[in-house]
Formats: sequence, structure tokens, C-alpha cells
Amino acid sequence: MNVFTASVLLSLGLGLFAATAGAADDGPTPQTVYSQTSNKASHSLLIDIAKAGPRLVAVGERGHILFSDDQGQSWTQARVPSRQLLTAVYFADAKHGWAVGHDAQILASSDGGATWSKQFEDPSRESPLLDVWFQDTRHGLAVGAYGSLFETTDGGAHWQDVAERLDNPDQYHLNGIAAVKGAGLFIVGEQGSMFRSRDAGQTWEHLDGPYEGSLFGAIGTARADTLLVYGLRGNLYRSSDFGSTWQAIALQGERGALEFGLASATLLEDGSLVLVGNGGSVLRSTDDGQSFSVFNRPDRIALSGVSGQADGQLILVGQGGARLATATGAARAQP
Amino acid sequence: MSSQESFNMQHNQDKASLLERLIFNNRPAVIGICVLVSLFLFWQAMLIRPSTSFEKMIPLEHPFIQNMIEHRNDLANLGNTVRISVEAKDGDIFSKAYMETLRQIHDEVFYIPGVDRSALKSLWSPSVRWTEVTEEGFAGGEVIPQTYDGSPDSLEQLRNNVLKSGQVGRLVANNFKSSIVDVPLLESYPDPNDPGRQIKLDYQAFSHQLEDLIRNKFEAQNPNVKIHIVGFAKKVGDLIDGLMMVVMFFGIALVITWVLLYWFTWCIRSTIAVLITTLVAVVWQLGLMHAVGFGLDPYSMLVPFLIFAIGISHGVQKINGIALQSSEAENALTAARRTFRQLFLPGMIAILADAVGFITLLIIDIGVIRELAIGASIGVAVIVFTNLILLPVAISYVGISKKAIERSKKDATREHPFWRLLSSFASPKVAPVSVLLALAMFGGGLWYSQNLKIGDLDQGAPELRPDSRYNKDNAFIIDNYSTSSDVLVVMVKTPTEGCSVYKTMAPVDELMWKMENTPGVQSAISLVTVSKQMIKGMNEGNLKWESLSRNPDILNTSVSRAEGLYNADCSLAPVLVFLNDHKAETLDRVVDAVKAFAAEHDQEGLEFLLAAGNAGIEAATNEVIRSAELTILILVYLCVAVMCMITFRSFAATLCIVLPLVLTSVLGNALMAFMGIGVKVATLPVVALGVGIGVDYGIYIYSRLESFLRAGLPLQEAYYQTLRSTGKAVLFTGLCLAIGVCTWIFSAIKFQADMGLMLTFMLLWNMFGALWLLPALARFLIKPEKMAGTQSKSIFAH
Repeated sequence: MNVFTASVLLSLGLGLFAATAGAADDGPTPQTVYSQTSNKASHSLLIDIAKAGPRLVAVGERGHILFSDDQGQSWTQARVPSRQLLTAVYFADAKHGWAVGHDAQILASSDGGATWSKQFEDPSRESPLLDVWFQDTRHGLAVGAYGSLFETTDGGAHWQDVAERLDNPDQYHLNGIAAVKGAGLFIVGEQGSMFRSRDAGQTWEHLDGPYEGSLFGAIGTARADTLLVYGLRGNLYRSSDFGSTWQAIALQGERGALEFGLASATLLEDGSLVLVGNGGSVLRSTDDGQSFSVFNRPDRIALSGVSGQADGQLILVGQGGARLATATGAARAQP
Repeated sequence: MSSQESFNMQHNQDKASLLERLIFNNRPAVIGICVLVSLFLFWQAMLIRPSTSFEKMIPLEHPFIQNMIEHRNDLANLGNTVRISVEAKDGDIFSKAYMETLRQIHDEVFYIPGVDRSALKSLWSPSVRWTEVTEEGFAGGEVIPQTYDGSPDSLEQLRNNVLKSGQVGRLVANNFKSSIVDVPLLESYPDPNDPGRQIKLDYQAFSHQLEDLIRNKFEAQNPNVKIHIVGFAKKVGDLIDGLMMVVMFFGIALVITWVLLYWFTWCIRSTIAVLITTLVAVVWQLGLMHAVGFGLDPYSMLVPFLIFAIGISHGVQKINGIALQSSEAENALTAARRTFRQLFLPGMIAILADAVGFITLLIIDIGVIRELAIGASIGVAVIVFTNLILLPVAISYVGISKKAIERSKKDATREHPFWRLLSSFASPKVAPVSVLLALAMFGGGLWYSQNLKIGDLDQGAPELRPDSRYNKDNAFIIDNYSTSSDVLVVMVKTPTEGCSVYKTMAPVDELMWKMENTPGVQSAISLVTVSKQMIKGMNEGNLKWESLSRNPDILNTSVSRAEGLYNADCSLAPVLVFLNDHKAETLDRVVDAVKAFAAEHDQEGLEFLLAAGNAGIEAATNEVIRSAELTILILVYLCVAVMCMITFRSFAATLCIVLPLVLTSVLGNALMAFMGIGVKVATLPVVALGVGIGVDYGIYIYSRLESFLRAGLPLQEAYYQTLRSTGKAVLFTGLCLAIGVCTWIFSAIKFQADMGLMLTFMLLWNMFGALWLLPALARFLIKPEKMAGTQSKSIFAH
């Protein structure tokens, strides 16, 4: 464990103490602060992108949530009661979606992402939520830093801290949660930690993974029991037995092995997979994740989210906002 | 002394004033005193040095500047840096030859006195490192490792290291075709020979060293590199070099004036007498400037030129008068005395008018303008002694050549077709046309001068010409690096150790976003920028963490590398706002946005203060200029009008003299709008100077016109007689003044060129306005039949 993590853990203890103390007296609720409307919002840092039916919804810094009804050509800023960095967005159907972020905020929309309300926040935890997943419009889970795990069974009216369901004594960050076809749920996190659940998140099993470094996310492929986990320095592993055994996937870039961190992935309608990450990395697999072609955009921009269109073209988000890209990840001219 | 001479003396004494008697009865004493004073002041003048004191060019009383000065030490790191960009003409920087040249430049710069060696930064500095997040935490190393040997492999490694170092856009150009040597400077450094002593950095010497030791040397040594140098020290060095050129202009103006003067007088003796007495005036002025503690800055450098031109013009009036008197008087002394008697008062009035114009400038709270005003006032006061007193005394000894006297005698009687033609400006047919034309020009000028802008309008360093080497270098760096040369700094003030707490940093983050959403802003950086990057770095480069942390320890750790973005006790953090340009509307918008933000977010222990940075100073200067512009105009016109009223005791006369000046001011504004010159520190004084000096013509012409009208001549004939007697002198005066300042148009310093252009225009057009419009207005405003035979109420009446 490095020095930073140590200091973080130390201060977390103090933070939690302060939170308990603060929770005792309910001070006046501060006036809700909405994100500022800005025509630069679509060029600000955007972290994640999701589909709400035909609509695209992207979230990012300063409480920015943007939606597009024309495949990313133009973006409209949603009204959002937050100015924090939002880290993930998930839509259970075309209308109902959730976004999570710093201050442990959980925001919800029931109109396809146009307006949002705050369901939960706890700034005193000093820890962000990092990913969110919903089974349907009622049951969902959110994961985050220092082993945070929250659950709702009523569409977010109540969120419950269920971190104790995980065997995570060192309180490693939980970076991603994903559903695996025909198998269950999978969580990955710091120091290669991974957990699986076969009962929709009620009980979790700790797994010894193939990798010591941080894993930033997981994604179930088109095949049953099959998933990919990805993380630091181009580390990518595939399992076809719900995480019991793993194969490392070698990634060859233009100048040797890919050394950039991988941040996010998406499964396209035709079953192909796209991964994005730092250094403008865009990876594509058409064999269910057994091998990937690697492209590094010349702008070397850090990417953290991707969505695919029916025709295979991509919409990328990350530093500098949303970008249209070809199927390989190269820049596509904005019409 | 012959009896004839003593009789004349007696005769002269009768009408002579006390002053005249005092001067002309003690001629050797007058000369002697002047020689002694000149010797002393010449010695003083020799000691005067160019000064480019930064503080004198800015409005010290403005709240922005007060804030800046109060926190100057906390902002030290933002300041004085020179950046040398080394460009590879062919290929990119990853070649053995390029890297070798870069290393030699780095080493050479290291040894230039005044360089802060510990902070010198280039790709060759050990402090320039790359970092990477690995499973074990951070990994890193020097961008150019110890093993570097220039081989293709090590160049490839260098390329990778540069990419990982985050220096692209900072030390390395976005297109990898150039890289920067970042040279922080020390304002003063220990004397190598006497370590106890501090030497103040000499910007001019430093700038020359950069040219000789870096640019010339290495461009010759490696033909594939081109060197670009920018920074405050280089700019000031170039400015001082530009000032040196101005000395040459003075020589040119001197020669042209000498030729013109000879053409005017046809007398080598009086030409030399006028030139010498005028140069004495300049020496006195410079000497007095030094004696009262002023240096020569790029603005007050105009003063010797003005004094020279004003001195010459008064000298010409004197010579003109003496030549006319000489044809009647029996000797030079009598001619000189009579001329003195005749011209001393109008000369004093004209000089007073000049001085009044200059004095109004004192209300502008900018040091250089005040020094200009004081210097010019001293200068015109000196002219009273040199050209109104010393010159007639000198001429009384040397006399005027026969040829010149003959000519002026002939001129007095013969018909002048040119003046006859001009006199039709006063005719009943031409005058209405002239007035209508003037009205049309006035309206057109007013309409066009709506385009007039406040402040500096050009890209780059406004002091230098857009096509100067410095500004080309500056444009190169702006184009190739992620940087702008226009920076407005907002100072965020907190209690000690308060700069890095969440309560401070979250509003700073909001301010930055507000700034970035303000049109004209490119980007903003502060310790928040560094903090977010560091927190992301601590979290393995994961973008989901690129945000401020509420945890105080994390936040504290995250700003530890934000050197220069907070002060020693963490009570002040600058927010650097990079702008597209420094146009007034851009600055206004940004300043307004910051003020609105501060009004909303200022609270106990957190203050957002405007402003530092070059754009902050310009914003403050613009505010001062804007508020002073109208005041100056009103004041200078009020003063001039009052002067005219006192002189002529006539409302009509005042209008005849002042209205042509108003037309000139309006057209001058339109010209500025047309030439893209903004109202700024350099051009604001021009208004006052132009009006103050321009009124001379009107005073000279009207005083003669009035005397002819009282003699009973009809207007047009009276005007013809006026032109015949003073027209030539007025024309010549206008030319002299214009020549004195027009050489400035060729100055390497942009604002001097602007001043030269505007003053030349105003002085010439004021002359033209006096010759053309004054008689036309007189046609409407003055009733000659009422004036004929009456006693003048003007103070010129005897």
C-alpha cells in the first residue's frame, strides 16, 4: 500500500467520526444548488454515457448531465441539483435512470434524463460513488470508494448502506459493477479485488483475481457466464466461467504493448465489444473479447466512456467532453 | 558710446517697461547668467538616464493596483520570466543535433548574470521529470535520462518520456517542432566580485546578452534552429533600445529644422542664434528634469521634442519681428528691443496657453503622464527665458544679415498672390461654404469616432509594433504552446493556511468555471487545477477522481506541488485567467464577471481581489483613462477658452479661436478610430498637448486681425494684411512643430509612433483650422463696422 492510500485511510477514520457526530443534530437543509447552464458543458470533463431508449445521456464534472436525441450531434443540458463530479449513469429503461458521483450523491430521472432529483447524498463520508447498476426500476446497487455499497428496493426512495455484505476488510475502492448474462452480478475494485453474487446482490463471494493492480470496471459479454475485467496499464482479463478462471488478453498497440489504463467498456448490438481508456485508447473485439484491435487516437485524450450506434460508429466521452468517432475510434467530423 | 546711441537709449527707455530696461540695460549680465545656468544644467542633463520604472506607467491609486502592490511578494513566482523557444526548422526536436544545441543553450543561459539558476528549466533540467502510475504507485524519472546518448533508441525513449511528462504545450510545443528554455530572473543578484553587494538586473544589458550569446550565436552555429525570445525583461530591453533610436530622431529633426529656418530667415547668424537658444532651452529642461529627480521615460522623451519645436516657433516669431523692425530701426539693438516690446506679451500668453494645456494632465493618476505634464510645463517656462529674453539679447549683438532685412522690407510692400488667395476664406461667398463644410466634417467626425476604443487594440505586447521581432516571437509562442500572453490574475485572499481548504477551493473552482464561460477567456488555472490533477494521480489516473476532495489531508497533499499558485503561508492564491486579447471590451467583461462573483461569494475569511497580471493592469489603466478622458477635454477647453476671454475680452473672438480646435479634436478622434489607435496612456496627453499648443496659431492670427479691423479695414482686407505680416510665421511654426514630432512616427515603440502621428496631425490641422476656419467664423461672429476706430479691450492694446 502506498503512502497516499495510507493517509486516505487514516483521514477516512476521522471523516466517519465527524459524520456520526454531525448526523446527530439535523441542521437546516442548505438550499438546493443546481448545475450551471453553459454552452461549454458538452466540452467539459464527461465521465460516463448511457442509452435511455434512443436518447444518449452523459454525465460529468460540475453536475453536468447532457442528453442528445440525434446520436451525439447536439447536446442539451439537463436540470440537475448538483455541482459535483458525477461518475456513472445507468438507465433501467427509456425513462428511469440514475447517476452517482462525489459527495456520495445519487440522482434520479424519470423522464429520460431531462430533469433530475437528488435521492441521496452524504458529503461527510468524503468518498465518491463510482458506479451504479439497476435490475429494474425498483432494485438497484451503487458502489464507491472505501468499499461503499448501497442498495435500494424502491426505486431510490430509500438507499441502504449494505457494505458489510462484502468481505472487504481493507475497504478497497469498488470501481465497477456489472451484470453477467445467465450468472449474476460482478464487482471489481482496487488492488485487483473482485466479488460475485448469484442472488442479485444479497450475498457476495470474494474471489482471488488474476491481477494485483486496480481494476476499473467489468462488463458481461454476449455469451453466458462470460465477462471481461479491465484496469491499470492495459490489463485486460476474460473469464468464461463467471470469474472462476481467467485468461489474460494481450493488447498490442502501435509502439508495443498497451500501457494505458482502461476505464470503460460497452457491448454493441452486434455483440462486439469496445473498451476505452487513457492515452486516447480505443479497443475493439468482434470475437466476444478473446482478442482486441488497439487504436490510440493521435490526440491522446483520456477517455472514460463509450456508446455505440447501430451502424457501429462511436460516441466517446472523457477529457474535453463528448466526441463523435468512427467504429475504430478515430475522430469523425462534426456535421 | 556715441551721443546718437545714447539718445536712442534715452528714447527707448521712455517707452520701455521695467522688465525691458532690466534686461536690455544689463545685456552682458543676462548673457553671463544664462551661460552659467546653462553650464550647470548641462551637467545635470548629462546625468539624466532612461528610466522605465514599471510603477510610473500604472495608476498607483487604482484599487486593482493597490491590491496588486499589497500582495506583490505573494505573487513573486508569477513574475519575471524570460522564455526562449528553440525551433527546429526541419523535422522535430527529437534529433541529436537539436538536443545538443538545446543543451548548449541551457548551459549558456545558466551563466548569464541575473538568471535564477536553481529554477532554470528546459528538457535538460533534472527537475523536468515524467511520471506514470503503475501497480506499485508512481513511477518516474528525468525526461532526459543519464543514459541518453543521442542514439535513435534514446531519442525514442526521450519521445516517450516527453509524452508522459505532461510538458507538451508547456516546455514542448504542441507540434513537437520546438521546445522552451524557461528562464526565471532575479531582480537583483550578488556581485560575483563582491558577494556582499547586490547588483540590480540591467534589463537592457540582459536583453543584449540574450541576443548576442543566445540568438546570434546559436542561430549561426546550428542553421537548423531558430530562436524566439519573450518575457518582460526582453520587452523592456527592446523598449530601451527603441528609446536610443529616439535620440537619432532628435538629430534628424534638428537638421530639417535648421534647413527650414535658413529658408525662412535667409540669415545664417539668426538661424544659428535661434537654434542655439532653443537647444539651450532643451538643455535647461533636461537639466531641471534631472534636478527635480525625474528620469527620461518613453513618454517624457516627447518633451524635449516639443520644447524644441515650441522654442523654434517662438524664435521664428522673434526673428520675423526683428527683421521687420530692422528695416526701420537704426541698429540691431533697437530692433531687438522693439520686437521684445511688441512680442513679449503675446509670446507669454501663448506659452501660458501651452502650460495650461499641459497642467490639466496632472489630474490623470498615472506617473508617466504626470511627469510628462510637469516636464513640459518646466520646458515652456524655460522658453520664456531662452527664446523670449535670451534670443532678443543675443540678436541685439549679432544682428540680422542685410539680405534678410532687404527681403523682409520687400515682403512688407509687395503683393502676395498666395495670401491674397487665402484671404478669400474671409469673403462672404466662401465663408458660408467653409462653415458648412466644417459642420459636415464635425458631424462626420463625431459619427466615425464612435468606433474609438479605449485601451490597446493590437495583439501581443502593445508597447512594440505588431511586426516587431518581439511580437513575432510572441505570436510564435502563442501559436505553438498552450499559453496566452494576456493574463488577468484574481487574488484569492484567506487567513493563514486557508488557501487549501475545501471552503476556499470549491468557490475558486466555481470562479474558474465562471471565467471559462465568459467570452474572451481561453482558460483559467489555479491551485485547484493542480489539486484535481494530483488527486486523479493519487487515484491511478482515474478520471472519476478528477475533483476536489472534502478531506483536508488529501487536499493539502494535492496542492503540495502547486508551486507559485499559493504563497508561503497559504493565505493568498492567484487565479490566472488567460484571455484571447486585451481589448477593452474583453477586459470589461471579465472584470465585471469577477466583480459579480466576488459580490456573491466574498465572506469572512475569503475575498476575491482584482487584479494583477498584465491584463489586470491594463484593465485598471483603462478605467482611469476612461474616467479622465472627458474631464481632460472639458478642462483643457475651459482653460483655453478662459485664456482667450482674458486676452481678448470678447466672446466672439474666443469662439473664433476655440471652434477650429474643437473640429481638430473631433477629427483627431476619428483618425484614431480609423488607424486602430485606442485611447490610452500615450494618446490621452496628445489631446491636451494638441489643443494647448494649437491655440497659439489662433492667438497670433486673431490679435493681428483685430488690430487691422480696428484700423478700419474691411474683414477680407484685414485678413489679407494679417496673413501678410504673420501668415508666413504661422505656417512656418506649424511646420516646425510638426517636424519636431513627426519623426516619432518611425519609432520602434508603438505608442511613441501613435503619439507622433496624432500630434503631427493635430498640430498641422490646428494650423490649417486657424488659417481656414477662423476667418470664416469671424465673417459670421464679428461686426467689423462696430470695431473700426474703437480702442481694443484686449491686453495687447497699447
